[in-house]
Amino acid sequence: MSEVDFERRLERLFAEAPEMPDAQAFAERVERRLDRGWTARRWLIGAAGLAGGVIGASQLLMANVFQRAEAAEQSARVIGQGLARVTPTNDMVSALSGGYGLWVAGALAVVTMGFVLSRLIEEF
Amino acid sequence: MAGATQSSFASLHDVELCSFAAAGERLAFGELVRRHGSAIRHLLRRMGAQPAEADDVAQDALLAAFERITEFRGEGTFAGWVKRIAARQYLRRLQREKRLSAFAAEQPETEEGAADGDAEHRIDLDEALKTLSPAERLCVSMCYGAGLSHGEAADALNLPLGTVKSHVKRGLDKLRTRMAPAGGAALEGRRGNV
Repeated sequence: MSEVDFERRLERLFAEAPEMPDAQAFAERVERRLDRGWTARRWLIGAAGLAGGVIGASQLLMANVFQRAEAAEQSARVIGQGLARVTPTNDMVSALSGGYGLWVAGALAVVTMGFVLSRLIEEF
Repeated sequence: MAGATQSSFASLHDVELCSFAAAGERLAFGELVRRHGSAIRHLLRRMGAQPAEADDVAQDALLAAFERITEFRGEGTFAGWVKRIAARQYLRRLQREKRLSAFAAEQPETEEGAADGDAEHRIDLDEALKTLSPAERLCVSMCYGAGLSHGEAADALNLPLGTVKSHVKRGLDKLRTRMAPAGGAALEGRRGNV
């Protein structure tokens, strides 16, 4: 047998390893470890999201966001009146920068939460 | 493949399973493990790992493969790709535990040529590998089992290329002697049963 033939045969022998009797159990062990990793990752992402949400909400409250929004609404009204002298189409600017903008942001947050919930239901 | 079960993956090709696994489908990857897990464990045992250690490294290699599945381009076989990962992980483990240098100094378990001329009793690859020194066994297994080039094996083993080539050459000579005993009778169809 030539050297090349022998090397090919050796590669074939290495490649054609028979299935081990505990192959199924081994595969299940690997799957369990995969599942553990994914569960841990999901919890970590969830915990990070929750912590971020709590911090964000507390920062909003501590920054007196509602008072600022009212002040911004008044400012927007003043700007809107100024703009009204220049052009009549300033309603949208005024509405979005005032209290109406907050409602839009809230609605978007609710839609986002809906997406998150549906994703969670799909995962679990 | 929403709501896929293990059986629905059984008929798919490895490359298709890899695509599903890359999309986060763990059942698809489980099917790949079922198909190729034994070959990976065999390779590690042939490199010299004890059965429990081989299983640990094989598991780690498969988990690493799942994490890096998007890097698999389908240029070679999936099994070959994971075997290379497993071989490198085993070497890293040996290096971490400072066993690699001790490995190279060890002598083979069986005396060379102990079964020469025993043409009636065919010797399988696993038995033949035991006649090699640990370094020869590692180099031969990495090059012919994991499909690494001599250069890649030298890098992984942190050895000069010439040394790896010598180990491979000596290992092949011993295997050839061992596996084709008296009269040059070639062995066919006999495989390892670790």
